[in-house]
Amino acid sequence: MRNKSETPPDGFWSLERPNARRSLAMCAAGALIGLGIAGLGLFTAQGTRTARVPAEDVALVNQLPILMTDYLQQLRAQDNVSLGEATPAQRHKVLEDMIREELYVQRGIELGMQADTVEVRAALVGAVEAQTVTDATMAQPSEQELRTWYSTHLAQFSTDGVMTLDDHVLPFNSTPAALAAAQAALRAGNAKAVPLSGRMTQGEEFYFAARLHLGDPLFAVARTLASGQVSTPVKTPDGVHLLVMKHNLGPVPLPYDQVRDRVLTSYINDQAQRLTAAGERFLEKRADIQRAKGFE
Amino acid sequence: MPGPSRAVLICAAAALLIGAAAVGVRAMWRSEDLDRLMRADPETILSNRDLAPMALKIGRNGFEHHCASCHGTGKGDPQRGIPDLTDRDFLYGDGKVAEIEMIVLHGIRAGDSKGWDLAEMPAYASLKPYAREPLPSLQPAQIADITQFLMQVRGRATDPVAAKRGKVMFKTSAGCWDCHGPDGAGDNAVGAPNLLDDIWLYGDGSPANIGLSIAYGRAGRSPAFAHTISAGEARAIAIYVASLARPHPGDDHAQ
Repeated sequence: MRNKSETPPDGFWSLERPNARRSLAMCAAGALIGLGIAGLGLFTAQGTRTARVPAEDVALVNQLPILMTDYLQQLRAQDNVSLGEATPAQRHKVLEDMIREELYVQRGIELGMQADTVEVRAALVGAVEAQTVTDATMAQPSEQELRTWYSTHLAQFSTDGVMTLDDHVLPFNSTPAALAAAQAALRAGNAKAVPLSGRMTQGEEFYFAARLHLGDPLFAVARTLASGQVSTPVKTPDGVHLLVMKHNLGPVPLPYDQVRDRVLTSYINDQAQRLTAAGERFLEKRADIQRAKGFE
Repeated sequence: MPGPSRAVLICAAAALLIGAAAVGVRAMWRSEDLDRLMRADPETILSNRDLAPMALKIGRNGFEHHCASCHGTGKGDPQRGIPDLTDRDFLYGDGKVAEIEMIVLHGIRAGDSKGWDLAEMPAYASLKPYAREPLPSLQPAQIADITQFLMQVRGRATDPVAAKRGKVMFKTSAGCWDCHGPDGAGDNAVGAPNLLDDIWLYGDGSPANIGLSIAYGRAGRSPAFAHTISAGEARAIAIYVASLARPHPGDDHAQ
């Protein structure tokens, strides 16, 4: 054990005493390592000026990449070959075509095509909207979130109701006595006593179709009828209707497992709508929009 | 400052530097591995003894991190419409690594214009069954007829007359033929499943499940990872997924 009063030896590797050369060497080593890491990042990162074409790209056109995956897909689409199967001529032609396309796209941006070419504008709007959906899709909801969405939007995940009914019609000016007699005849099962309207002639129908065929006023009455029930007279411009419900089965919620894909789609669509609305608010907020007088 | 404390500090700094350098070197190696993957023909990597083990290792990690939450081990779940990745029945494309890679990067119905999004199963029990083109709504009896036809093609129809009516509708007015083909064999260019085999993406192939799909439609999704993972990792995942259907010597899934 060294005596406390004893001075530690001086030298580059003697860690017990400060050493200017050692400090300088450590600083230099640190700086070199930092520069190395920064250089690696700088020359391999996508989107920066690079000294070589990154492995995920097949070419750079004004530093914008032509992706290897796009190139492979184009080889398949154009010549139905994989990279290994393609001849040098096929490879060259596909790449030259893609470079040409990229040059035209870049030129189009230089010329401001997005300002006055309808197709370009529509494509840009669609692409930005789609990007929003991509972001929403990436946020994979948990099963618990999906189940909560399912239980709070049960109507979306139910069957459409089905009904089978006869729609009888009497003249608009029928007397109350005639209507009562017709209703009694229908209740007694004498369907031929009252003519059919011809609106529901195709047997069992989904609710959406029945609403279309009957019209809203009659459908509103029909959906409340139980199987076997005859409605009270319903006046419409074409006469007085009496509905005979043969079978009525309202919407039934489907089990979660059977509709999980629809639950996920509905959930994601809702998220996408929220993101789109938020994005539009943000764009409007940061934009300098001047409206002419009379167009505020 | 006492000597020993200074020594500890210097040692700690040196350890940090060495650690950082090691991480950097490892990242460079990994980057080089992924670069080699990207430069190779994706369809030949599984048979490349140098690249396959590394690709499968990286791919398995990526799959477990990004895909397993839905796909599990890859065996699928018909109750949730999750396809079986281990069989040879490909809903989109025919199992090429490059095709799987595009799905990993750009998804299915994920809002990415490079992804698969050419069709979905119409919901015939609705006023407007299909947004992409006009198709007729169907009545419950018509849906039952088409269901009978689809049961008939595998010898399980209970009402041959209804199946005959269903066949006519399938091949004409209902428009099913447009995606599934006149014979019902499907079309992997649009993701329309083969209706002749006994592989079911949704449910168990019972009349109730088939009727449900016809009435209310189907549209599965797969996220687009293009902005989340590197191109190399996407390729490695694609190779791993391809290996699930093509068991590879040396890989655990070969059993």
